[in-house]
Amino acid sequence: MLLVLGRRLFNVIPTLLAVIALVFLLFSVLPGSFISGMNEDGRSAIDPAVMERMRKEMGLDDPLPERFAKYVAHTVTGDLGISFRTREPVTKLIGARVWPSLKLVLAAMVFAVCVGVTLGFVAALKPGSLIDTVSMVGAISGLSLSQFWFGLMLMYLFALQLNWLPSFGYGDGGLRNLILPAVALGVGPMALLARTTRAAVLDVLNADFVRTARSKGMSERLVVKWHVLRNALVLVITIVGLQVGSLMGQAVVVEKLFSWPGIGSLMVDSVFQRDMPAVQGCILMIVLFFLAINTLVDMAYVAIDPRIRYR
Amino acid sequence: MRKLIGLAAAAIVLAGAAAQAQDTPRKGGTIRMTAPYAASFGSLDPHTTPRAQDDIVNKALQRTLYNWDTKEGKLVLELAKSVTPSEDGLTYTYKLRDDAYFHNGRKMTADDIIWSYTRLMDGSKGYPGARYVRIVKGAVEVEKGQAKEIAGLKKIDDFTLEMTLTDRVDPGYSFFVGSTAILPKEEVEKGDFASRPVGLGPFKFKEHIPGSRVVAERWDKFYKPGKPYADKLEVLIMAEAAARDVAFRNKEIDTSILGPAQYVVYREDPQLSKGILEVAEMFTRAMTFNHSHKPFDDKRVRQAINYAIDADLIIKRLVKDKAYRAVSWLPLSSPAFDKSVKPYPYDPEKAKKLLAEAGLPNGFEFELTTSQNESWGLPIVEAIIPMLAKVGIKLKPKLVEVTVLTDIAMKGEHQAYIGSNLTGPDSLTTMRCYYSKTPRTACNYTGYSNPAFDKLFEQAAASVDVAKRNDLLRQANNLVYDDAPIWFFNYNKAVLAYQPWIHGLQANPTEITHQYPEDVWVDDRSPAK
Amino acid sequence: MRLGANTYVGGALVGLALTVAILAPWIALYDPVMDANLMNAELPPSWEFPFGTDAQGRDIYSRIVYGARISLTVGIVSQMCNSLIGVTLGLTAGFWGGWWDDVVSGLTNLMLAIPSLVFALAIMAILGPGLVSLVIALGLTAWSYSCRIARAQVLSLKSQGYIQAARILGYGDLRIMFTQVLPNILGPLIVIATLGMGGAILSEAALSFLGLGIRPPFPSWGSMLSEARDQIRAAPWLSVFPGLAIFLTVLGLNLLGDGLRDILDPQSTTRRA
Repeated sequence: MLLVLGRRLFNVIPTLLAVIALVFLLFSVLPGSFISGMNEDGRSAIDPAVMERMRKEMGLDDPLPERFAKYVAHTVTGDLGISFRTREPVTKLIGARVWPSLKLVLAAMVFAVCVGVTLGFVAALKPGSLIDTVSMVGAISGLSLSQFWFGLMLMYLFALQLNWLPSFGYGDGGLRNLILPAVALGVGPMALLARTTRAAVLDVLNADFVRTARSKGMSERLVVKWHVLRNALVLVITIVGLQVGSLMGQAVVVEKLFSWPGIGSLMVDSVFQRDMPAVQGCILMIVLFFLAINTLVDMAYVAIDPRIRYR
Repeated sequence: MRKLIGLAAAAIVLAGAAAQAQDTPRKGGTIRMTAPYAASFGSLDPHTTPRAQDDIVNKALQRTLYNWDTKEGKLVLELAKSVTPSEDGLTYTYKLRDDAYFHNGRKMTADDIIWSYTRLMDGSKGYPGARYVRIVKGAVEVEKGQAKEIAGLKKIDDFTLEMTLTDRVDPGYSFFVGSTAILPKEEVEKGDFASRPVGLGPFKFKEHIPGSRVVAERWDKFYKPGKPYADKLEVLIMAEAAARDVAFRNKEIDTSILGPAQYVVYREDPQLSKGILEVAEMFTRAMTFNHSHKPFDDKRVRQAINYAIDADLIIKRLVKDKAYRAVSWLPLSSPAFDKSVKPYPYDPEKAKKLLAEAGLPNGFEFELTTSQNESWGLPIVEAIIPMLAKVGIKLKPKLVEVTVLTDIAMKGEHQAYIGSNLTGPDSLTTMRCYYSKTPRTACNYTGYSNPAFDKLFEQAAASVDVAKRNDLLRQANNLVYDDAPIWFFNYNKAVLAYQPWIHGLQANPTEITHQYPEDVWVDDRSPAK
Repeated sequence: MRLGANTYVGGALVGLALTVAILAPWIALYDPVMDANLMNAELPPSWEFPFGTDAQGRDIYSRIVYGARISLTVGIVSQMCNSLIGVTLGLTAGFWGGWWDDVVSGLTNLMLAIPSLVFALAIMAILGPGLVSLVIALGLTAWSYSCRIARAQVLSLKSQGYIQAARILGYGDLRIMFTQVLPNILGPLIVIATLGMGGAILSEAALSFLGLGIRPPFPSWGSMLSEARDQIRAAPWLSVFPGLAIFLTVLGLNLLGDGLRDILDPQSTTRRA
């Protein structure tokens, strides 16, 4: 197990470095005087003389290779720079937002797995029935939905019309505020999980049907059921792994919609305010998450089915 | 029968007494204000931040040499008891307060003012307040590192300060700004001042929860007797209008800035409409034409645009009446504002005629640089496009970030841009934008040059008599309106919603969220104890 | 060759979207940008304005009709971009192998490590908003699938000796690519492109919603939703119609893609799970 983890981490590091390089390169091209990002609303502008001084201070006029080297060195030691906007360390800005983002993504995943797998199972157990068709239509609709439009509609129905749930914000971190954003975010993966679970279960059941026809007792059926479960689990984990990436991407929009104080909304705000270090930091954080979760998924894979070897 | 009359009389007396009680400031309670402009505070060290958001807190924790008196609508001395300007108007001698104590217990002296202003001129730090201290003689030398002390600041004795300026301006306009607060040297030098600020304000810093709030307690040694009234002050960060709306309705906050959409809702609510404070702020929103770009050098073209756009309709429908129609460069609160001037009426026919006269019967095309802002940005531009199209002018919007807008204006890279311009509180400095000698980078973004205006302006700048100066400025202002160097849109209407139990709020036209909290009090209907 | 209900319904929806987009100037009732009268702001659906009006007083129906042009253009062009890049990289990686193959693998890993929306967001931040930058950004983010298919196909042919044989016969690499490899992967490529178009349209909507895509006053379904969000209480119909338009179009593309997959790609090499 440790060997697998070690090898995986080893593969991850070059990817991470490449991402750091890419992010840096992309943003050194950024036009627009980002120092002006200190203004707010077009009011109280900063003196041009002062701006010049600050540019020199932040080393923004140094040659590119020098800046790159400095950037890599800093990032690797955990120093993501100082935000242009708030003049605080970027790590502090991001740190406050990690938990809300994590909560949202986890909650969305939990929702997707619970509802999606259940739907898939139910649909597979009664193929061709009304439930089956409805679930599958629902599933493909879920894949075609704009996450934020769905969220907007949910917000309108449950928060503004029925007043059952708060319409935005983190609140005091309680469950009530988490429900709408998590559902809006989770509907995509849920749909995919429903479809694939159905396909997987059908596969196994068909074989199962043939086998149980020849079975001689309970024990075989139990063994078969365990087999179904394990296959399904593997599939679920695979999809979770694949979907996490797109989930983190979609989370950006959902966070903005619901004013959820996560890394995604920080990234969007920073892009608008030309807060270069913050944007870079956010991208790195998101990629880190993604790679970490994928590593966990791989490990879970191996744990569940030791026959899976690593290429 | 007599019993009833007796009861009625008693009731009336009691009611009267209760009403009286409402008018007398109650000592105690907690004031809960909101900071609506950003998701965090920049810094609690007032010298390092120009942001309006941080100033909300600093009006409670800190003090500057001058304050803005909302009732009188002018500057008043705050940390000094009196000031004597010299004959030539360049030297001001201040008799400072001897009863001002920092929150660490020490009394303020002239040394503190000198130290604070000198700190601001530290060239390596780029403090935003530096631009205000630059008017003092010798300040620039300190900034450039050529001198250690500001020559123009002289301590006569512990409570007497002499300040010599480089120009004949009123120092009050510079030294009422929050980033020129007077700070205690020994506290700043401890190093963590931004997390534990100490000042001269009516409230003492208690705690700062980043991203959430600042809490402050009453400073018992504040120099205004009996004030501040409240025991505690909380400034809660709430950048989303919708969040403030919910919190306000839940009685979790005492004040809330309203955007256009909520302004409509609150106005129409019978309860909420009773607690709305409106003031015309000192910002003029306008479409600024670059006179170096043809055909904007022709007065008729500029006037045509003023006739072609139905500004009143836009203000009513899009800005939801949360603005006052602009009839000049100077805002409503300026003493040089002429109330008798009529705005350009909506007259597309006249616009077409003027364009034809200017040799453009088929109109023309131009690019308008704009930001996303909902009150003076893209949505307004979207409404203008069809209006100008009707008279043959084709407008192409160019979207930029609001922070880049100032850059573009200073470099003169625009054909026209639409934005919000600070037009106060000093009317003379504001009108300087149309003085031909003012460079584009300073604020003459149009490139305007009119000898008649120049003469009026120079006379106004030279006159020491305030009434005469205001009269000259008024004439200059009206001249500018007629010349139409810009399209005059509106003055911002700042709207603050407040709960029924909070009193003493000031209609501050420089910034409505900048309340002097020593005058604010909450009665016992407040749910915060 | 049995076409499932999927394909028919999907095809119909996509056909509808295409028709609307092409015929926009004729079936719209008003000009989507110029016919703005503030006096008509925020009116609910009526005979005069079938889907109601927005905050500027513009007819929503006409804007949705014109918006179809933008959404479909973005979808089609960016997908073509993706396919082009992916196929080129995949083919060359498979053919030439060696260090180039490693580079392409590395690039693919990189792309897979960054969520596509985040990457597109970053590119839009650099290029600024607008139709062209949007197409570029979306065209650069989703090429990994076609790349993998192309490469896998080349490797498979290689292992079966076809490539060797063709080379012996004197065929140049380019000719081999076009005559041997491409025809085999065309099916899966079409499926990927169809499904990808749906994704591109959703991404465009998301980016425009955030304010980084197509900007007002041009009618893009995503920016219409962004404008609608602020008015959700006062004028909820503003959010319904653009969202519905996106939904139906993407649904059509997904159904069509699914159906095509059953025909063109029975081995499900394109199945993503």
